[in-house]
Amino acid sequence: MREIVTNGLFWLLALGALVGAGTVALTRDVMRMALGLGVMLLALAGFFAYYGFGFLALAEVFVYVGGVLILVLFAIMLVHRTTAGRPELESRSRIAPIVAAAGLSALLAFMLQPAAALLEPTGVAGGPAALSRLLLGPMLLAFEAAGALLLIALVVIVAVGGGEAE
Amino acid sequence: MSLVLVSCAIFGLGLYGTLVRRDIIGILASIEVMLGGPQLLLVGLGASIDHSAGSALNAQGIALVIIVVAAAEAAVGLALVVAVARRTRSTRLDDLTEVKG
Amino acid sequence: MSALVAAPWVVVVVPVILAVLIGALGKYAKAAVPWIAMVGPVAVLVLAVASLLAIPDGAGSTQPWTSALASHGSMTWFAVGETVIALGWAVDTLTALMLLVVGTVALMVMVFSLGYMAGDPGWVRYYALLSLFTGSMTLLVVGSSFATLFLGWELVGACSYLLIGFWYEKPSAVAAAVKAFLTTRLGDVGLLVGLGVLWKATGTLEYADVMARLGSLPASTIMTVALLLAVGAIGKSAQFPLHIWLPDAMEGPTPVSALIHAATMVAAGVFLIARAWPIFEAAPGARTLLLAVGVISALGGAVIAVAQNDIKKMLAYSTISQLGLMFAALGVGAWEIAFLHLVAHAAFKGLLFLAAGSVIHSSGTQDLREMGGLRREMPVTFVVWLVGVASLAGVPPLAGFFSKDAVLDAVWLSNPAVSLTLFAMTLLTGFYAVRSTKLAFFSTRRGDGHAHESTPAMLTTLVVLAVPAAALGLAGPWVTERLGGHPEALSLSVSAVAVALAVLGGVAAWALETGEGEATVQHRLGPVWTPASGGFGFDALVRGAVVTPVSAACRMLWAIVDRFVIDGAVEGSALVARWLGGAVSRLQNGDGQRYATVVALAVMLMLAATAFVGR
Repeated sequence: MREIVTNGLFWLLALGALVGAGTVALTRDVMRMALGLGVMLLALAGFFAYYGFGFLALAEVFVYVGGVLILVLFAIMLVHRTTAGRPELESRSRIAPIVAAAGLSALLAFMLQPAAALLEPTGVAGGPAALSRLLLGPMLLAFEAAGALLLIALVVIVAVGGGEAE
Repeated sequence: MSLVLVSCAIFGLGLYGTLVRRDIIGILASIEVMLGGPQLLLVGLGASIDHSAGSALNAQGIALVIIVVAAAEAAVGLALVVAVARRTRSTRLDDLTEVKG
Repeated sequence: MSALVAAPWVVVVVPVILAVLIGALGKYAKAAVPWIAMVGPVAVLVLAVASLLAIPDGAGSTQPWTSALASHGSMTWFAVGETVIALGWAVDTLTALMLLVVGTVALMVMVFSLGYMAGDPGWVRYYALLSLFTGSMTLLVVGSSFATLFLGWELVGACSYLLIGFWYEKPSAVAAAVKAFLTTRLGDVGLLVGLGVLWKATGTLEYADVMARLGSLPASTIMTVALLLAVGAIGKSAQFPLHIWLPDAMEGPTPVSALIHAATMVAAGVFLIARAWPIFEAAPGARTLLLAVGVISALGGAVIAVAQNDIKKMLAYSTISQLGLMFAALGVGAWEIAFLHLVAHAAFKGLLFLAAGSVIHSSGTQDLREMGGLRREMPVTFVVWLVGVASLAGVPPLAGFFSKDAVLDAVWLSNPAVSLTLFAMTLLTGFYAVRSTKLAFFSTRRGDGHAHESTPAMLTTLVVLAVPAAALGLAGPWVTERLGGHPEALSLSVSAVAVALAVLGGVAAWALETGEGEATVQHRLGPVWTPASGGFGFDALVRGAVVTPVSAACRMLWAIVDRFVIDGAVEGSALVARWLGGAVSRLQNGDGQRYATVVALAVMLMLAATAFVGR
């Protein structure tokens, strides 16, 4: 019973992620694309929780969905005045991108097979306490760098987009 | 194995989108999708490998950093898009041919 | 003098250097050019005499690998692995005698040309080439290995080409030069292959070493080498079937014909065989070839000489005939006698050519039919001409008599049937000798020019050459002895028959030829005349059998291979490059996503490579 639930959950989440990703890649409608992105991000969050990283899931929802997705929506709203939601038909060939994308992902899947043997969700993971110990311990440098990166990004955004419109 | 497949599929879809979409915002969104694939795999592996507390959490930390980086990148990119679009009044890639200005 | 003997390579190098100097600077000192050039032959003569004196009297052998060497030495040219090709010299009696011939004739020719070539615009080039020839011929003779011989061989061939085509504005001269070069080249190929086989078999080309190792070679190898060397000699000495170049070579100046095509270069073939005699001694088949070729050339040459109106062409065919005699002597194994005849022939044929040159220069024509009665206007020339012609015909006690009859003797003793052809040749020789004399010097003038005697310089040389032409016979036994042979008294019966035949031929010619109208040999011989005088159509045969197919093949090669294949490949590659460039440039269209696609594809391929191939 537990097996079925676990598996079903996995595949449900997988479905959501894939559908969302596919929408982002394929749809012409911008709003639909944003929606797809949101679905995928939520599915990812679900996966994080599924694997027992609760804090991570939450962080992802807050930052990605709540932050990035909103940003995307804002950008869409600010920008799509004239050609709103109607990217035109392209006449160029899509064979190469299809081959590249499919090939590369298939190849990666093939090459990552050894990793698959290691996968065995246990449902046991650390919580915020352990995470914070990690971030302030071995990963301190990365943590600080990430903070610095955010600061720089902030500055850049203000410089690029802020100020007068002309 | 299914996790590997799923995360690779997500990655592939994101890659395809990056290569094919004509609007900048779409491309940026596809990039976010691409980032999501390995993130998923990383987390999944992190949950499986070596149940001692230390190493299991590395995955978490890395995933967190990925989130941060992705967020920063998306923010900057979108700011640029907005700035450019205000000038050229279009988000189609073909119209963004001028580098200057 | 002894210094020269010790370092004969000086005598090779000096004329060559002088040739270069004359060629480069001669135009500033035209009068001095001949005297500078004459240093070469003089040095050769000095070397020859000094060497003959230096060889111990009792030592008669001519093989430098036994005893009688005046000098020898060497320096390394290049080494291939363990075999070393050295440039060495070895002067023995054979060499010294040959050098005597070369030096004398070359000197006489240079002096003669002072008068003959005076006023010719190519004066400087002429003497430069003569000097170069002297050095090359010396190299051929003086070397101690087949390699040096071959080097000299090729060089004299080149000089011959340049000198035959001396008056290069005349297309016939150029054609003759090319013909000579190509025909002798054919022989040279045989020589080269023969030397190659020899080298492979013995590992060396030095005479001494080759002869020492000869005993250990299988008979078939020796036979092969001998045959191939014979081919080379046949080409160079204008024997049948490679004789066609010599009559055409008469396009060159007459002194050149005297030097190269009578006395020295054409004798190189005989010299080669004499030098390599141990090889031929062990190869009876090759000797048979030489005999056959010699006899055919002797008789054929004489027949055609009878039917010539051009004085130089007659002498050319006569040369072929006399060389045939030498080859016949070689064929029966009497190489010392062959060499003796070579020396005598150099004297009287050189004399005859120069005398002919004197006649041509004075009367302005080469055609015997236009001459006549010259004995009154050119007495000295007439006398020396008589000496030369008598020597040629074998009239005793002149040099030609001794050497020619020695040959006849030798051939008669070993192969009586074959020698009959040589007797026939003797008759014909007497015939054409007298006929030409009568036409040129007796009877009444038919042409419209007026003749005068030649300059003292030219006459002096004629007289100088007349001496050995007349008297060399006396030195015959001495020469034979020096060469390691055994001088035998001439068989009286053979000699008597030979002389009688010659006289008979002469009388017949005198009676049949008057030079006027129908009382000429040409008319009397009727239908035989034309084919005979044209060399029995051999030239046409060669042209049809060899020249035309080869030219056609070359043209086909040009049309197909050169135009389609090679040009096609070149232009085709350009087309491919252009197409490829066009195709690839379409990738570079400024589309960022396209670039990204390509990157993704590339990454995929690289990963695939590491995954599947890298293991």
